[in-house]
Parts: sequence; structure tokens; C-alpha cells
Amino acid sequence: MSVLLETSGVRKAYGEFVALDEVSLTVSDGEVLSIVGPNGAGKSTLVNVLTGLLKPTLGTVRFKGHDIAGVGPVMLARRGMARAFQLVHIFPALTVGETIAVAAISQTGRARRVFSSVMKDAELADRVREVAAIFGLDGKLATQSQFLSQGEKKLLDIASAFALKPEVILLDEPTSGVSSADKHGIMRTLMEASKRAGVKAIILVEHDMDLVAEYSSRIVALQGGRVLADRAPRDFFNDPEIVAAIVGKMGPRHVRAA
Amino acid sequence: MRALLVVAAIAALVALPSVVSPYYVTVILPAVAYAIALLGFNLLFGYTGLLSFGHALFVAIGGYSAAVLSAKLGVKSFELVLLISAAVSVLVAIPVALLSVRYVRIFFGILTLAFGMLFHSFLFKFYDLTGGDTGLRVLRPSLFGREFADMDKTTFLVGPFYYYCVALLVVLGFIMWRIVHSPFGLHLMAAREHPRKAEYLGVRVRFVRFLAFLVSAFYCAIGGVILAINTGQADPELAYWTHSGDLVFMTVLGGFASFFGPIVGAFSFVALKGELMGLTGYWRFVLGVVLVIMVVLFPRGLVGVGQQVWAKVRPR
Amino acid sequence: MTAFLDVLIGGVFHAAVLFLVAAGLQLVFGVQKIVNLACGSFYALGAYFGISAVKWAIAAGMPPGLFIFVLIVAGLALAVIGPVIEALLRTVYRRDEAFQLLLTFALVLMFQDILRFFWGANPQELGDLVMSYGKLSAGGVQVPTYNVLVIVASIAIAVGIGAFLQRTRFGRILRATAENREMSQALGVNVTWINAAVFTLGTVLGTVGGALVVPTAAASLDMPVELVVEAFAVVVIGGLGSMRGALTGALIVGIMRALAIRYYAELEMLAIYIVVIAILIARPAGLHGKPIE
Repeated sequence: MSVLLETSGVRKAYGEFVALDEVSLTVSDGEVLSIVGPNGAGKSTLVNVLTGLLKPTLGTVRFKGHDIAGVGPVMLARRGMARAFQLVHIFPALTVGETIAVAAISQTGRARRVFSSVMKDAELADRVREVAAIFGLDGKLATQSQFLSQGEKKLLDIASAFALKPEVILLDEPTSGVSSADKHGIMRTLMEASKRAGVKAIILVEHDMDLVAEYSSRIVALQGGRVLADRAPRDFFNDPEIVAAIVGKMGPRHVRAA
Repeated sequence: MRALLVVAAIAALVALPSVVSPYYVTVILPAVAYAIALLGFNLLFGYTGLLSFGHALFVAIGGYSAAVLSAKLGVKSFELVLLISAAVSVLVAIPVALLSVRYVRIFFGILTLAFGMLFHSFLFKFYDLTGGDTGLRVLRPSLFGREFADMDKTTFLVGPFYYYCVALLVVLGFIMWRIVHSPFGLHLMAAREHPRKAEYLGVRVRFVRFLAFLVSAFYCAIGGVILAINTGQADPELAYWTHSGDLVFMTVLGGFASFFGPIVGAFSFVALKGELMGLTGYWRFVLGVVLVIMVVLFPRGLVGVGQQVWAKVRPR
Repeated sequence: MTAFLDVLIGGVFHAAVLFLVAAGLQLVFGVQKIVNLACGSFYALGAYFGISAVKWAIAAGMPPGLFIFVLIVAGLALAVIGPVIEALLRTVYRRDEAFQLLLTFALVLMFQDILRFFWGANPQELGDLVMSYGKLSAGGVQVPTYNVLVIVASIAIAVGIGAFLQRTRFGRILRATAENREMSQALGVNVTWINAAVFTLGTVLGTVGGALVVPTAAASLDMPVELVVEAFAVVVIGGLGSMRGALTGALIVGIMRALAIRYYAELEMLAIYIVVIAILIARPAGLHGKPIE
């Protein structure tokens, strides 16, 4: 199992305040890694370091062997990592097809093409249709994003990230704002989509421990900027100390691994 | 449908000199110049979302380059004048763009206004170089090497020069059409709609804005060259901030959200201004009122109005 | 030395007037996020109206020595146009800034002809009236007392605005709304009323500035568009939205311009704009503005 993303001894301090301390973890091919922890534990900071937005004060973060400390979102997308956010972001005036095409264009290096027609590009159209179909949006390719329902917008947001054909995708609370009944549906769609899009590893930031338990292959728990635990779900939920520290603070649900 | 309209419009433009008086054609010629300039301006405004209040700077560069090349350096070829003026404009645009695309919205507008006025004060004050407030003369160029020496100025302008400029508009319009419908164009629009999300989808936001800026400078300069040759003069007013304001006015009048909007805006504005100037001494006031009406009631411009009307009367 | 002092005082006078206009710009931008291209038009309106008011007052028998009060009152009286124009701007409030900017540009166009309609195309002036206050001598330099009065008045207004913003309840509400409009609204502030009040205040600062300048300069149709150039230089150098910036910026522009006119006439605005560009490169938020983007 090859390591795709790894951090080594990452420390992020803002003056006196230490947001992350000695965080070392790896994400390998085939894994679904969940990052959990109470608010203020450093999840956002870690996510920003992992996705090249923040430069660590100490330590390294490497993606496929390349140093990605602070490279920024554009470089990240080009290297093969995508990120989907908690809040829905769309391009209001662009259609579903155009939105997905934006990502596909980046991925296939077509952004240089100043004179060729997007419409007539068969390869691009196929890619767009393919990705749209995975998320059930292929019937709405010509609809402007602003006219989609909230749920459809969320799907589009994530679909456009998948259109980057990323090897690693980071999903930031993908089921937030979704009703409990739909949560599992969304997660299944995401897992299915990842497989079809050729995603090799998924990093999940989630509060819902049910979902974490069901879909993760490994769980990293953060507390106070440090890694409290880095284990498979079964070991994670069987450890009463960890459960008390993390689950107690994250919600009233009592969780038991399958 | 749209293709039909475009062909009809081109045909109308070509037929114009045969139908109306030469005087009228000299009034329309600036509209052709502005149409070209605005195609470039709107790439930056409508498609990239950056409102520049200083683009008259590049129109002025076009005009003054034409003056220096034709009157001071003896360059006769229209093709050379166009190319060199546009190249100078792009060169000047590089540092301006590098600085300006770091900012958006009002700061971008103020920054570009500042650059425009910087150039204006340079043109105004350095009499020896630029002719100060009287400006510089611009000489008649040769078209494809032909001098048309037997024609007087007006015959030249409303004849060969007019047709050449209309052809330029068609060619440059076609090129701009390809640009905005290309992958690059889509990345531009993504950068306009939501710059942060665009970055996460691999769009190099600052770079595409930078390129759009350069292209807009290219087009504006060509418009400036045509304007200067038409009047035979390049003067500092070309660079004044109110001239930049006029560019925005024309674009919004026609409709900035449409490809053809700026072209419609250029012709409408020139025609409207011409008519108004003949009717009243207070034409600026009327233009101001028109702008208010457009901004408040018809933000999508004349093209937007046309689209709404068409949607209603369209045969089902 | 005396020549330099002369230039300096001239520069400070110009800065005093510029400050008033710039303060109006900053207030309106700070609270409403509108950049008012018509600030120069208001300035010119104040100038023309001030001249008419003084001429009328003198013809009606007022002793010429009271003309400065007439000017101030004339400037204040023009406050009536504030709410009217603000109501127009309100129609595009929620829309893109580009539209607001364009509306103010439309106002510039309209005012050009409004001014010409009422006062004609020739520049207007008050002649030697400024001399009726005599001159002051200081350090070997002679300064018209009027100019000193204006500088003092401007300082007084600056201090007044500062105190108003920092110490009064209304001032605090203004600053809060400038920081966060939604929050202010949620806390029950009548933002609509505030907007009208702020815009009117900004307008009045401009009209009074224009009125006060006329004894020393003619009112002309170039004024509206030329002032915008200078006023923008002031707010960029000082920092968009900052009152302190209006003060610093006005001083820098006023004095630089006076120096340039005296020693190197070709430079004038060019010098000022080079400073503007330099600031935009080095410190784009201006000297006192908040960092942007």
C-alpha cells in the first residue's frame, strides 16, 4: 500500500498559541481516513496544512513525495488532490456542465487553449457527462447552477471536485445540513463516486460518529492540537478512554463499531 | 437566429456608405472603433468581472502611437501602425495588470483610474514629447500598401478606410468569440463567479485575469488608432477619466452580460450622442438620465431588453 | 525661505479645502461602501451657489465683511440635495458596486449641464472680496486672513468630526454600521435613515468645501471632473474609509501640489499620481486604511 499523503512532526503555532503539535500521519492508497475531534482541537488547521493552504511552523507535509507546504489550492488541484467544503460553493451563472468542465479543463491541461471551442470538445464533453452521471446530474447539464435545489448544488459542488480526477479527496463535513435520513445515502454516493472516479484515498472530516464508524478504514482523533489516537474503527471504539474523550465531546450518540 | 442577425448587421454596415451621406459615415466610424475597443473592455468587465475606470489609457496609447508612428516616424502602413500600437499597449498593460489584478472590485477600479490619470497628466504636461493639451497630428496611413493619394480625406475615410475597419471589427470579433468560448474563457468566468472555488478547481485566477487585461489593452489600442486616424488628432482627452467612464457607459448601455452587448452599446451611444448633440446643448444631461434609466431599470442593457422582448414575441 | 513658507501656507489652504471633500468621500464610503464620483460636482455646486448667494446678499445690503458666513450657510443649504440623491442610489444598493459607481458617474454627467444651465459656461468669481479681511503677516510672509480663517475652520470641522465619531452615540452607531451593516441592522439600527444622514453629511462637506474656496479661485465647469482626480489621490494615499487618512492625504496632496506648481510646473498632478501609484504598490491600503484582499 503506497503512501499518498503524509505529515511528519507538523507543528503550527501562532505566536504563543499552538494549534498543532507533533502531528504525524499517513494516508495510503485504499484508505478512508476520518479526522475527528471536538471543536478547537485543531481539525481545521490540520486540514489546511494537509491541503497546502497553511505552511507548518515545523515539520513537513508531502503529497506523492512532493513537498506541498503552503502551495495553495491551484497547485494542489494540479497535483491531484481535491477538497470539498462544508458550505456549498457554486458558480451561479454557469451551468452544471460548465461547472464540471472548469475542473475537467484544469485536469486535462486545457486551460492554455484560448481559441478552441469548449462546445466542440468531445473528450471534454464525455468527461463532464461521466462525472455528472455519477452524481445523478446528467439530466441537468444545461441548467444554471443558481437554479438548482440546495441538495443539487451540494452534489454539484462535490461533483466538480471529483472532476479533477483527484487521487486523494478531502471531504469537509459532507453531510452537514443534510437530514439524518439522507446522510447514509450521501455517504454511499460519495463512496461509489470515489471508486468510479478513480480516487485512491479519502480523507473525511466528520462529526457524525455513526458515519465515521461505518465508512472509515482508519480514524485519527485530535485533541488540543495533538494526535490522541490513530487506529482502525474497531480498536478506536473499543477503547473506553478514547471514546470518552472524543465521543463524549462530539455528541450524545453512543457508538458501537460493527 | 443569432447568426442571421449578425450576418444582417454586417451586411448593413457594409451597405451603409452606399445608402447614407458621407457625413453620417464619419459619425459611424468612431462607433466601429469603440465597438472594437469595447469587445476588449468587456472581456475584462463582463467576462472576468473586473471593472476598470482607466481603460481610456489604452485607447489613448493607441491614438498617440498612431500619431508618433505616422507623423514623427513616417510609418505609412496601417498594418504596421496597428500592430506596433497594440504591442505598445500590451507592454504598458503588463505592469499595470500585474499590479491591479491583485485587487478586485472598487480597489481595482480606483487603481485603474489612478493609472489612467497618471498617463493623462503625463500627456498633458510634457509638451515637447506629447504636444501638451493640443496633442499630436495623426497622418493618413496606407492600406495594404496602397496610398489612395488621389482621394481627399473624407473620401478615404468613408471609403477604403471604413471598409477596412468594418473588416477589422468582424475579424477581431470572431477572435474574441473564440476566446470567450474557449476553455480559457470558461476559466475566466469561473474566476468571476467565485474566485476561491475556482482556485480549488485548478483555475489560476490571477493569471487568467492578467491575460484578460492584456487582451483588453490590445483591443482598446486598436480602437484608439482608428479614432485618431478618423479625427487626424491624438489629444490628452482620450486618456481622461471621463472617457474611461464613457467606455463603461457604452458597455452597460449595450449590455455587459452579452457578447454582442458592447458592440450594440458602441453604435447606440455614438448614434444617440450624435442625435442629442444636434437637438440640445444639454446632451450630457440627457445622457446622464439615459444612464440612470439603464442602470436602474435595464441592467442587462439593450441586448437584455431585446432578449426579453424576443422571449415574449417568439413564435411557440 | 519666505517663498517656501508662502508655498507651504498655500498648500495647507488647498489641503484644508481638499480635506473637507475627502472627509465627505470617506464617510460615505465607510458607511455605505459607495465611491461617489460626483463629489466634485457637489463641490462645484457649492462654489457656484456660494458665489450667487454672496452676490445676492451684498446686493440686498449685507456688509461685505460677512461674506464668509454667507458662504458657509450657502454650502449648508445645499444639504437638501443629499436625501434626494441618496434615494436614487438606494435603488441599486443591493446590487454590484459597479452599478453604484455608474450611477454616480451619471450624476457627474447630469451635473455638468445643470451647472451650465444655471450659471453659464463662463467661470464665475467673487473678485477682490477676499481682500476685505486683509492680510496677516507671519515670518516675513503675507497671507490673506481669509485663507487662515478657512484653515482654522477646516481644522475645527476635522476636530468636530473626530469628536462626533468617537464620543457621541450617533457617531458610535455610524462606526458600527461601517464595520458591519447586517449586525447593526440586527441590533435595531435604522440603517436606511443612517444612510440618508451620512450621505447628506458627505454632500454638505463637499458643498461647503466648494463654497469656501471661491473667494480665492474661480468656479468653472472644469471643477467637477478635476476635483475628482485630486480627491481620489487623497483617499488612496490616506486609505479608503479612514478619516485620519483624509487628513494626511489632503496635507500630502495639497502641499505637494503647491510645491510642484512653484518649482516644477510640468510635474503637478503627475507628481501626485506617482505618489499614488507608489503607495498602491507599497501599501495598497493607504497610510491609514484597513488592509484589503
